[in-house]
Amino acid sequence: MEIRMENVSMIYPNGKEALRQVSLDMASPSLTGLLGPNGAGKSTLIKLLAGALLPTSGSIQVEGEPFPKGRKRVKENLGYLPQEFGLFDELTVTQFLDYMAALKGLRCPQASIQEAIEAVNLMDKAKTRIGALSGGQRQRVGIAQALLGSPQLMIFDEPTVGLDPEERIHFRNLFSQTAQNRLILLSTHIIEDVQAVCDQLLVMNHGRILFAGKPEQLIQKAEGHVGLFWEKEILDAEGLQITSRVNTSRGIRCRGVAEVLPPGARTEEPSLEDAYLYLISREETR
Amino acid sequence: MNKIFQYECRRLMSSRFFAGLLLVVLVYGWQVLTEVTILGAAHTAPFSPWSFGDYISRMLPLLWAGTQLFLTAFLSPKARRTEALTDVLQDSCILYALVRQSAVLAGTAVLALAVFGEGLVFYGLYFHWYEWRTLLSPFFLVLMPGLVFGLGSGWFLGQLKSWLVYGWMFMPFLWRILPLPDAFGLLSGTFFSQYPLTLEKLDPEFTVPGVNLLVQAGLLAGGAVFSLQGKNRRRNQK
Repeated sequence: MEIRMENVSMIYPNGKEALRQVSLDMASPSLTGLLGPNGAGKSTLIKLLAGALLPTSGSIQVEGEPFPKGRKRVKENLGYLPQEFGLFDELTVTQFLDYMAALKGLRCPQASIQEAIEAVNLMDKAKTRIGALSGGQRQRVGIAQALLGSPQLMIFDEPTVGLDPEERIHFRNLFSQTAQNRLILLSTHIIEDVQAVCDQLLVMNHGRILFAGKPEQLIQKAEGHVGLFWEKEILDAEGLQITSRVNTSRGIRCRGVAEVLPPGARTEEPSLEDAYLYLISREETR
Repeated sequence: MNKIFQYECRRLMSSRFFAGLLLVVLVYGWQVLTEVTILGAAHTAPFSPWSFGDYISRMLPLLWAGTQLFLTAFLSPKARRTEALTDVLQDSCILYALVRQSAVLAGTAVLALAVFGEGLVFYGLYFHWYEWRTLLSPFFLVLMPGLVFGLGSGWFLGQLKSWLVYGWMFMPFLWRILPLPDAFGLLSGTFFSQYPLTLEKLDPEFTVPGVNLLVQAGLLAGGAVFSLQGKNRRRNQK
């Protein structure tokens, strides 16, 4: 599966410009993390790739075929979990997945439904009405419907919201396994998830892509811009993003990122979270 | 799409809400039959097509309201959240919308058949009269155009704003009060109580003037046109 976006812009009818001249290439196998602050344009990008929206300008190509012609190909090979979604409370988990399988055009979907239910650990709830499920279980039903039919392209927008830490780890491992021969786009605010499983990374802000590459490359960019220092030493420091504060007997020990670290700061190895914050704060300063 | 239709019917008709609505329709229907229809419309027999048509047109507002309530199962803000999943998967937005509307129509048809059946039970019990075939014309003439129009227009309005469906629910009650032209008599219900009197015969044969048929055909066509509208309207909205 190959997807190419060229100079894609998206302006909503209310005038909001959600994407500005975005170009990117993605090809399987890959698990690409999509990071960015709220309102950065992540969900719009995802909706465009899923065919839920049409771009205002620019082109999207799937396997060399332009949208909307290529939309049918995407639909046949798409597993999509939006950030906000509803389920049919009146149906059981199995019935709902059967409904979604019918919409996807899957023939003889029983094995695929069973596989998806097992993948999300909902075997004991398969015959339960969705209205009776907890928030986390509903989220798992959402993930299960995306897995139906083993699609080549999977797009998950905040898939681990509402899941407990154990479930989150289970799902990120599942995404990682699934990505071995597929293209997965994972949008999340949980940088730990991205660091744990993603081989590629996209960082967005203000409708533009700020970074596209490997997570290590982003970390490299932040080298020399992360440091440890005492809070009392940095009262007037400009453009400093503090990522942690620890109370000690000598005062408050801080870790932060900045274009220029405060004098006396001890340089630290950046984490992906540091690198992400550095990139965003640098963009905001500009 | 067969499976989708079956699941949508199940969603609509397996709920307590549907059972409650059916009960309300039956209770109200029995009240109309035993208090109004039993007297006969426009000096005709209670089991004449005229009296039965009067009964059916009195039931139309409730059946219309039922149709609109069924539509809310697809058009309410809560129901719309599911479209985030389903919208990207369909081959044809129009076909999917029509399948869902068919499920609403099926639900309404069940209610309408219950109304029809209740009428037959009433005639059997009270008059030992079983010539039900003569009642099919008024049944289809009143309900089919009215309910198809209600379905199509309700779907169209609900796509614009979901709360409009709730307002549209009360429209037929308004029609019964407003002084509509005679051509709309089958919709407002005045046709069955007034037109037979103009024929100046005792128990006249059931006939419908062309202008009334034209209005009913217009409603049917209007409903069909509305049904096909507004499917891709939301594509580029957030």
